[in-house]
Amino acid sequence: MIDLSINLGKGLILDNPILTASGTFGYGDEIAEVVDVNCFGGIVTKSLSLEPRIGNPPPRIVETAAGMINSIGLANIGLDAFLKEKVPYLRELKSRVFVNIAARSEEEFCDVIKVLDREKWIAGYEINVSCPNVKEGGIAFGTNPNVLRRLTRKLRESTDRFLIIKLSPNVTDIARMAEIVQECNADAVSMINTLYGAAIDIQTRKPKINTVIGGLSGPAIKPVALAHIIKARKVIDIPIIGIGGISAGADVIEFMLAGATAVQLGTVNFFNPGAIYEILDFIEHYMDQHRLKSLNEIIGQAQV
Amino acid sequence: MKCVATAIIRSNQKVADGIFLASLEAPEIAGQCLPGQFINIYFPETTKIFPRPFSIAGASDSRIKLLYKVIGSQTTLMSGWSAGQKIKILGPLGNIFDIQEQHYRDFILLGGGVGAAPLMFLRDELVKKGIKPYFFIGAKTKAELPVVEDSASHLILTTDDGSVGLKGNVVEHFLRMAENYKTPTQVSVCGPDMMMKVLKDISLPQNMDVFVSLEKTMACGLGLCQGCVVETTSGKYNGHYALVCKDGPVFNIKDVKFND
Ligand SMILES: Cc1cc2nc3c(=O)[nH]c(=O)nc-3n(C[C@H](O)[C@H](O)[C@H](O)COP(=O)(O)OP(=O)(O)OC[C@H]3O[C@@H](n4cnc5c(N)ncnc54)[C@H](O)[C@@H]3O)c2cc1C
Ligand SMILES: Cc1cc2nc3c(=O)[nH]c(=O)nc-3n(C[C@H](O)[C@H](O)[C@H](O)COP(=O)(O)O)c2cc1C
Ligand code: FES
Repeated sequence: MIDLSINLGKGLILDNPILTASGTFGYGDEIAEVVDVNCFGGIVTKSLSLEPRIGNPPPRIVETAAGMINSIGLANIGLDAFLKEKVPYLRELKSRVFVNIAARSEEEFCDVIKVLDREKWIAGYEINVSCPNVKEGGIAFGTNPNVLRRLTRKLRESTDRFLIIKLSPNVTDIARMAEIVQECNADAVSMINTLYGAAIDIQTRKPKINTVIGGLSGPAIKPVALAHIIKARKVIDIPIIGIGGISAGADVIEFMLAGATAVQLGTVNFFNPGAIYEILDFIEHYMDQHRLKSLNEIIGQAQV
Repeated sequence: MKCVATAIIRSNQKVADGIFLASLEAPEIAGQCLPGQFINIYFPETTKIFPRPFSIAGASDSRIKLLYKVIGSQTTLMSGWSAGQKIKILGPLGNIFDIQEQHYRDFILLGGGVGAAPLMFLRDELVKKGIKPYFFIGAKTKAELPVVEDSASHLILTTDDGSVGLKGNVVEHFLRMAENYKTPTQVSVCGPDMMMKVLKDISLPQNMDVFVSLEKTMACGLGLCQGCVVETTSGKYNGHYALVCKDGPVFNIKDVKFND
């Protein structure tokens, strides 16, 4: 048996380094017939807010070269429905579950955490300060260093749980943002959320996304994600959870070499729902080939 | 249970201008399919990443039929499928045209062009229940009609130029014959957005329920991405957005808005 486990610190060990990316896997139950959800080391749920959000008007998605732009607007069922409808399924999973939270204010973040802290089975929180397509909250928290510092401090004071801050690539200096997160004692950063993107229909001259500008994801953004991870790895030593355009096992190895301790699969869940199986096979094969006893041996080992 | 499966192309023939009928062997999926449902087709190249959704136009225990129109890159690839080729599909997805034979006394299928696809499967299921539906299919010209004969239904063809069947619009002809239908009547529709919009805006004959199969750009087909939303009225979905891939593709026309 090859050991794929990784240690995120704070006593949190995942069976393998592959998690799902928020907003691309629902709450796990939607896809359970198609994929064995327990094959993932962790599940990150769709961004959850205190109250339900209906999200943005259509059109919300468009295909672009090797990627897509989305403007979902954090549509989600809200905390109450999450507790009633999703918790019974999620709490039974073998995979560790991280709840991604989005909010319009510091208070809203803390209110959600207060309730979720009672759910002992939750492995940690991922804080979305990087959604590019909502008017309030979202990216506003993740692009201003002072705002990010205040929020991270406040969240740290409010919970002892494993706390991941999800960073936006839409900033000049992502390393600085990662540093702030570490200074405020969060447990990890995840990066990257989507990049700003737009597309226009040349016949009708209308934007292809209702909010005009949305978030770009998919294989097209992988090099951007890697560059950001390399920059952040140089200045922080808390774990980085790598996200952005991963579609195959080789991508996972590349992210880990760049400095990621674990990774998330996002858009690939749409165009290859069984990608997890191929990825785990690849990693096992790679470890065997390179005589690795643990994936720890490759984290951050790229010669950069 | 829906699943990802490898399907083998058994045939793939041109049946009208730019329209193809394909038969895929996929026993894991075929046996469970019901009219109204669709499958996702995955393509190996990764520049265009979205799978493409197609209605199931017929199914047996082992095979699935698709009726598709070539309109872009992936449908062009599909038109080149040859027998024996293997493709990856996911299905069955979405909800169904619910045949309520206890309640309705007449059944009407209303297809615009390649929109006939899910209705062909619905026709098969109606026939199995001993029902002979009216099957209206409209197209611009004779060359674009995907179906030209069908003894299992009362087939009514319409073309804009009158090159075959009745001249004019399929919705007009369907309404013109309204007094022949026994009530209550169940009408199942699939076609261009314009056609659905017309049906939504006119006042329909009494005792007629209209169910439409909608199309939206889809990324996942599974309810994961929340990308394929349609606006709804205050009815079943409370004015919230509904997901075409999961809540649909079939909706009661009363429940949806057509303003985008
Ligand atoms: C539930 C569902 C069932 C469908 N069933 C059928 C079917 O049985 N037969 C059939 O021929 N087609 C069907 N479609 C439409 C089919 O999915 C599209 O024609 C196909 O995705 C186009 O792919 P392409 O790469 O060839 O075109 P692209 O190169 O992607 O696009 C070419 C043009 O087609 C338009 N287009 C793209 N996607 C769609 C779409 N999803 N719906 C409508 N227009 C689109 C684009 O705006 C563009 O102008 C269905 C769609 C849905 C959502
Ligand atoms: C349709 C869609 C919805 C998303 N929703 C969320 C969300 O609710 N919260 C969040 O933090 N990130 C969300 N994301 C961003 C992803 O989690 C991920 O960071 C991004 O897509 C980059 O990874 P990828 O290229 O592997 O998809 C969403 C992405 C997509 C494509
Ligand atoms: S296509 Fe993803 S939710 Fe419908």
